Amino acid sequence: MGQRLPLRRRIPWRALLALPPLVFLALFFVWPVTAIVMRGLRSAGSWDLTAIFAVVHDPSIGRVMWFTLWESLLSTIVCVLVGLPGAALFARFEFQGRRILWALLLVPFVLPTVVAGLAFLTLIGPAGVTGVELTGTIWAIILAHVFFNYAVVVRTVGAAWAGLGESEVDAARTLGASPLRALLTITIPRLRSAVLAAASIVFLFSFTSFGIVMILGGVRQRTIEVEIYDQTARFLHLDVAAALSIMQVVGVIFVLMLFGRARRPRAAGSVDRADTRPSRRPRTVGERAFVGANLLFMALFLGSPLTVLVVRSFSTSKGWGFDAYSALGSSRRGSSSFVSPLDAVGNSMRFALVTMVISVLLGSCAAWALARPPRTSSRNSTVKHRFGAARVFDSVTEGFLMIPLGTSAVTVGFGCLIALADPPLDLRSSWWMLPIAHSVIALPFVARLLVPAVRSIDPKLREVASLLGAGKFRVWLTIDLPMIRRQIAVAAGFAFAVSLGEFGATSFLVRARDVTVPIAIYRSLGRPGGDNLSQAMALAVILMAVIAVVVICIDRLRPPTSAEF
Amino acid sequence: MTSTNHEQFPARSSLVARRRRTALTVAILLLVATLAAGCSGGPSGGSRSLSKSGDEPTPTIAPVLSNGTLPRFPDGTVLRVVTHDSFAVSSAVLDEFTARTGVTVEFLPSGDAGSMVNSAILTKDDPQGDVLFGIDENLLPRTFDEGLFQHYAADGLGAVPMSLQVDDQHRVTPIDRGDVCVNFDRRWFADRELAVPGGLRAFTDSQYRSTLAVEDPSSSTPGLSFLLATIATFGGGEDTGPNPAWLQYWRDLKANDVAVVDSWETAYYGSFSGSSGEGDRPLVVSYASSPPAEVLDPSVPTEASPTGVVAPTCYRQIEFAGVLSGAQQPRAAAAFIEFMLMPSFQQDMPELMYVYPVVDGTPVPEVFSKFTTPVAEPLTLNYELVDANRERWVAQWASVFR
Repeated sequence: MGQRLPLRRRIPWRALLALPPLVFLALFFVWPVTAIVMRGLRSAGSWDLTAIFAVVHDPSIGRVMWFTLWESLLSTIVCVLVGLPGAALFARFEFQGRRILWALLLVPFVLPTVVAGLAFLTLIGPAGVTGVELTGTIWAIILAHVFFNYAVVVRTVGAAWAGLGESEVDAARTLGASPLRALLTITIPRLRSAVLAAASIVFLFSFTSFGIVMILGGVRQRTIEVEIYDQTARFLHLDVAAALSIMQVVGVIFVLMLFGRARRPRAAGSVDRADTRPSRRPRTVGERAFVGANLLFMALFLGSPLTVLVVRSFSTSKGWGFDAYSALGSSRRGSSSFVSPLDAVGNSMRFALVTMVISVLLGSCAAWALARPPRTSSRNSTVKHRFGAARVFDSVTEGFLMIPLGTSAVTVGFGCLIALADPPLDLRSSWWMLPIAHSVIALPFVARLLVPAVRSIDPKLREVASLLGAGKFRVWLTIDLPMIRRQIAVAAGFAFAVSLGEFGATSFLVRARDVTVPIAIYRSLGRPGGDNLSQAMALAVILMAVIAVVVICIDRLRPPTSAEF
Repeated sequence: MTSTNHEQFPARSSLVARRRRTALTVAILLLVATLAAGCSGGPSGGSRSLSKSGDEPTPTIAPVLSNGTLPRFPDGTVLRVVTHDSFAVSSAVLDEFTARTGVTVEFLPSGDAGSMVNSAILTKDDPQGDVLFGIDENLLPRTFDEGLFQHYAADGLGAVPMSLQVDDQHRVTPIDRGDVCVNFDRRWFADRELAVPGGLRAFTDSQYRSTLAVEDPSSSTPGLSFLLATIATFGGGEDTGPNPAWLQYWRDLKANDVAVVDSWETAYYGSFSGSSGEGDRPLVVSYASSPPAEVLDPSVPTEASPTGVVAPTCYRQIEFAGVLSGAQQPRAAAAFIEFMLMPSFQQDMPELMYVYPVVDGTPVPEVFSKFTTPVAEPLTLNYELVDANRERWVAQWASVFR
């Protein structure tokens, strides 16, 4: 290579790497959303902002916004508190069925909300088997949000935790720190970026929650997402919907900045593979109790709604049996819109696979583009000044990548219908519409998980490898990739799951012959009578099985150069 | 949540950075927005469609039937039919259409009826399909204002009762009907030796406390129909004050512990005790056609069927089809509308979509004639009246329930 300054060489390279994900989101997210918002705010060629002022000054919208904010923040806090012990469990302990359970965690994540909602009604509804009626209260909503998002915290933080060296903890313990003190002062701070990544995803999911709030929240609880859906899909008040969408994005940016503020650059890289402690069987009574309590919690909390679904799928009008499953295969009087469950699973898998590839590739681009190694001299103001512009670019890009997750599915879906209608981007009737729409939702996930992971790689390792003569690609292949293998697997699993379970945008973008499993479930549930409920539950069980098997496979994938750890 | 001590140190400079970050975020968003605005202001996008009223005349399609037979189209003609998610037709019936006309049919499911109509309006200048099926009465005025449909007076309308032909300009053609009615759980009332309530007023009776589940009219189509049923029954629809008669009825319902849920699915499978659900409510707002769907063995006597209909609560619902204004195949679309009024399609609908045919004298399956009460005189309101007042009614309803 030439004799150019290293600084000059580095910046264009990173910017180039950031380009594919940014262009992707500009085309398939910003443009559609802007198109639908503009259509709402411009009439007869001129701007009409009265709706914005009306919405801003409407006290009931203010209440909805406030409820949405605190409901999602509370959901996030509860989810993180509940998820951290689970993350510790998988990071540190070996037990029977650990790998399977690690994959099974993702099962709730793909369930269509109406299915999970009905399961929760069976448990905590007016005639619930637990005898505790929570529907109509905030607790039902939070319970369901934690049910859906538990995996986000456990898998994200767990993967980071597993890669954390233990030498500092050992040192602290030797110096007399209690395990709790070592946890609070050493481990948790080092997990900060992973926890914040998980928390921001959980927040955005709860912030845009639609079905759960509708089913379990009762008539009183409304989120901004519900309002946007009503104004867009029911009343076609695009001006009000546009104003609400803008409010939603502003709210998302505001909270993302809070999260960004909570993160600070850390001097030391935290992944040092040499002293990673492999997980082990629990030894002391305390450890056994910890493992037992965690497993019991998961069995009760995640297990009981899932059990309801499985039980329902086997209970038919003729008694117990596989009737619902076998009925899935037979067309109802030869309906032309009939899609066999096998075909639906095939469609869903194809979309999910393509979504996974697109979003992991783009997300990786973003991660390595943004993962500027933390500067040891960051408190030196001149250095800070010199890198200011690049750093601003980083944090803006990082925040921008998250926004799709905090935007209403109906806004994106309707936006795609009007924005992606003309050549060369006439995608409305194309097979690619769905995986692209799903990738828009999955990309924030992948990026949010991979950025802190890549950032946490100790730059010294790369420097050593370079000194030893490894080229850039070889450094990447032998240092970067193996070090964050776990996080890539976790991100890929989530991307797959996002696509597999997506319903909101799918419902009006899907083509008749590409029906996915969630669509088939809703169709089954939309009909009265007979065994439609059991069949919907059977389809949900199939969906659960698919995601479990796929995630087990993804978790087993390893880059060829990686050693077992 | 972020105030550990060593963080205070770089606070000032990071505040500056943050401000710069905000400014940049805004700048980028604005830039992209402007770019996109430039793009979408082009020939097919922009703000035209919503503000354009139906001033310019929508085209009229000449009759396509000759002596009652469907015309033949060139081979390879493809007709695209925009539908809602609940649409279904037998393959055999569809094949018959293709055999008679040479037209291949593609379906474009577009979410629920509301989403379908709204996405059709949004894509009006460059429609996704040629014909739209499944629009109900309450959504009609909006589509008329937008000039969504072409005029086509179907030959088949001759056999459709005039009461169902609500659009005298023939922009839309009635295809099926299915009334929204309160369903009851037969066994629940038998077990308690309680009479099945006879109509809307009975639901506020204390002996029927905590028995009824309804859908939120702001989020559910049958929920809205039930709201309209109460307005049609008790009156006061023109009353903008706090105490119209119909709203007082809802206050009484609320005092009698009515359950309001978000959707038909939650109501029927979550709250209702009569279907395969495990709910605790023996009365639910559903459809006149739901009880036949619950019957597994058609040989049982009518009194032994699991659920039935409280007939005086039924509110009329008609589904229409129309040829979209920008259709590429308007004549094939018109032919499909004629076909939907022909016996094979009309007879096919009940068991596949749980709706009734609109053509007089069409035989319905035995389960339909036997297990549900034919509703001779369903409640109804003029759709223009509904369109003019719907949002106010929903808001008045919400003032009681939210």
